[in-house]
Amino acid sequence: MLTDFLQLTVAGLSQGSVYALLAVGLIAVYTVRHVINIAQGEFAMLAGLGSAWLTASGMPLFLAILVAILTVTLVAIAMERLIIARVKKLTPLISIILTLGVSTLLQAIMLLIWGPEAKGVPRFPGTNVLIGGVSIRSQEFWMIGALVVVGGGIVLFYEKSRWGKALRACAEQPVAARIVGISPVAASVLAFAIAGLVGAVAGVVSSPIYLSLWSGGVLLGLKGFVAAVLGGFVSFRAAIVGALMLGMIEAYVAGYVASGLRDGAAFLILILVLVVRPQGLVLKPTAVRV
Amino acid sequence: MTQATTPALAGMLSPWARFWLNNKGTIIGCGILVVLMIVFPFTASSTAMNIVVFAMIFALPAIGLNLLMGLAGQVSLGQAAFFAIGAYTHAIMLTKLHLPGPVAATIGVLAAMLVAFLVGLPIMRLRGHYLALATLGLGFIVMIGVREWDVTGRTTGIYGIARPTVLGVPIDNNGFFLWFLTPFVVIGLILALNLTRSRAGRALSAVNDSELAAESLGVNTYALRLKVFVLSAGFAGLGGVFYAYQVAIVSPATAEFHLSVSILLMVVIGGLGSVWGAVAGAFLVQFLGEGMRDAIPAIFPGATGEVQLLGYGIVLILVILLLPGGLHQAATSLWAKLPFPGRRPPADAHAQATEDDFTIPILPNVSTPVALGEPILEISGLTKRYGGVVAVNEVNLTVPAGTILGLIGPNGAGKTTCFNMISGALVPTSGTVTFLGQVISGRKPNVAASHGLTRTFQNLQVFTSTDVVGNVYMGRYRQGTAGVLRGMLGLQSAEQTAHRAAAYEILESMRLTDAADDSASDLSFGKQRMMEVCRALAAEPALLLLDEPMAGLSGAEREVMAELLRRLRSAGLTIVLVEHDVAQVMSLADHVAVLDDGVLIAHGDPESVRNDPAVVVAYLGTDLDEAEADLNELEEHV
Repeated sequence: MLTDFLQLTVAGLSQGSVYALLAVGLIAVYTVRHVINIAQGEFAMLAGLGSAWLTASGMPLFLAILVAILTVTLVAIAMERLIIARVKKLTPLISIILTLGVSTLLQAIMLLIWGPEAKGVPRFPGTNVLIGGVSIRSQEFWMIGALVVVGGGIVLFYEKSRWGKALRACAEQPVAARIVGISPVAASVLAFAIAGLVGAVAGVVSSPIYLSLWSGGVLLGLKGFVAAVLGGFVSFRAAIVGALMLGMIEAYVAGYVASGLRDGAAFLILILVLVVRPQGLVLKPTAVRV
Repeated sequence: MTQATTPALAGMLSPWARFWLNNKGTIIGCGILVVLMIVFPFTASSTAMNIVVFAMIFALPAIGLNLLMGLAGQVSLGQAAFFAIGAYTHAIMLTKLHLPGPVAATIGVLAAMLVAFLVGLPIMRLRGHYLALATLGLGFIVMIGVREWDVTGRTTGIYGIARPTVLGVPIDNNGFFLWFLTPFVVIGLILALNLTRSRAGRALSAVNDSELAAESLGVNTYALRLKVFVLSAGFAGLGGVFYAYQVAIVSPATAEFHLSVSILLMVVIGGLGSVWGAVAGAFLVQFLGEGMRDAIPAIFPGATGEVQLLGYGIVLILVILLLPGGLHQAATSLWAKLPFPGRRPPADAHAQATEDDFTIPILPNVSTPVALGEPILEISGLTKRYGGVVAVNEVNLTVPAGTILGLIGPNGAGKTTCFNMISGALVPTSGTVTFLGQVISGRKPNVAASHGLTRTFQNLQVFTSTDVVGNVYMGRYRQGTAGVLRGMLGLQSAEQTAHRAAAYEILESMRLTDAADDSASDLSFGKQRMMEVCRALAAEPALLLLDEPMAGLSGAEREVMAELLRRLRSAGLTIVLVEHDVAQVMSLADHVAVLDDGVLIAHGDPESVRNDPAVVVAYLGTDLDEAEADLNELEEHV
């Protein structure tokens, strides 16, 4: 009984780490541009399929991963420069249509290059561990580790470095941000680069277990969004906690209810949170309407 | 857009002629569509027939989504979910319960609307991106649901749906099916077109320009948006019903995210807010998709699956970047370039009134629910805190009916904050605002408006997508009664004509009649401000809140405004105004209240307030003698 529960918890935490990384990317872009990037999940799939293809054609695993992550980061920057930056007035309506267009385009490109089948990156090096009957796959350590290192690094960057603080300020105080030495253009590029980077990392570490599929990014991105909503779309820490919770709830639903229903959990949580606490888990409710 | 019939002209026409003038575009457009659809089966190849049938089916969800995006300003990324709910429900009713077709179809449409209602109930309260992502999630839920449920046939879906029979004729080929389908699409189209021109449609378009101003005129944004969302799901459900008939199999693919994307693309290509655009977009996307499915495997050997998405993604991005108004924008700008006899040259919006005649030609109606001198507005303990900052602190005020109260104070004294709390735009931290015996603080602005309180704004809130008379006409919103249903059925033209005539009259009171048909955004700043006052007066309020009505007005315009306010007070209207022009306030107001640092430091008749030492100090500096000298000098200049 307990073993099953712990086993599901481990699976949930590792899956939740992936959602957490995507949520970090979504929030990074949202705080600077007020854009919900529907293409966030595609960054993950692009990196997963890309590195799977590179390793299959003989490139060493870690080199392939590095190349894929850098490429996807560049794709995210290109998206900002070539598309997002060209719109003068980004209303929520326009930003959704635009990022949906990018998401659709990226999906089609992945379909054309790598075909309709799901592909996986080879397992990362490491040995599976058995603690008290609970087996933890080495890849799950990599997934959680990626969140700790990359996600934690981004949070530290935002909270401790001058650039990170300026990025946070950019959303509310563009002038103040400029004084600290960061232009709105640079802030926007940096935000998209972070989104591309964390998306790509999430994509490559989860690919060995959960595989990468040309059309899988939308659902993955939506999970990241649910986590970001739990964090009120401003707090990285709350979003990460929310993402881990979401991963665990999904694992329990899949383990105890029905595996086919696991993806439904995210949506129900989303509706519940929006009804009960639209401002997220941590923020105080605000009464300002103007 | 309302067709160009001036009220005077419309009065002389027979009802039929008026109907023709008001609905010319719809009648001609639908006529052409019907003729095309009648002729098409005789001329088209079977491939083209297939595309046209699907284009007409998908035109329905596209029209619905277009209403949602164009009117409610919200995106649904799950239009396919409602389409699938309609299709599945219809199929289940037909194959499992063996209900007659019309009944099954109705239940299908209602099921889609019910789900939209339940999802919209919480989500439509939130603005921004939430509806888009919630509907995106709903799409996945529906897909998971139909895959996991026995009733919906899991991954196989439901098959064996019989084609309908009309008057004994089985609809068993594409030609018949197109004729069977077209009347429904045309009716849907007419309903949607009527809605965009109706009271509700105009209100929603005003909400998209300025939610605050629209709500202050009594528009219940939430309820209207929810209705449009439910309606848009109904259109999608109807599309699903026909899809089930046409394909005879309903599978989880009907809820696919990519189907939602293609419906969204139809709307974007056609142009947001353009119902005809949605229909044109449906045809374009169907042909584009078919073309891409042929072309891409030829260019990229071995490509299979949803390859048309390549084109969808590129077109979505390009349309938003290059032609954000879609086909509708392209068509209207082309039309404007064509030489067209009888087109009116644009009037000079900045023409100044030259004569020094400040009389008011027509006085707008006001409402006087309580006797003169009785308290109409009571403010008690009103406080607003932002974190540690107290913007307004424990303000108590009573305004007697039929008087003008001037609210003055230095910049940042909290005047506008006070106004926002009175009108409902801002929720007070503590304290209450009682208007006509009802507590209105903490409610939305449309609640205050429904009790007879309207306002203008310091930062102008103009409805830029309509003309000047259209702005004032929106002020009549509360006087109208037609809801979404009546609007869709087009049963409100008499009401609209009457309110339009009233709007012209109110404009005359401010001498703005010449600019009535100009775009509101082309007016000078001062004229826009006067237009806002007209808009507020159009609501026939009992209490008018004016936030700096004189700012940006020329000397002559100020005199007209002052005279109008005096006449309105004589007619019994209660007015509260915030104004920087102290001399103007002193000469207009019966009572003056002075705010400083969020605290009410003086309240009384103009004379006593003028001589109140605390006021002089607060207003003009710390040195009392110097301040008095300044004040005297200021008054001499005015």
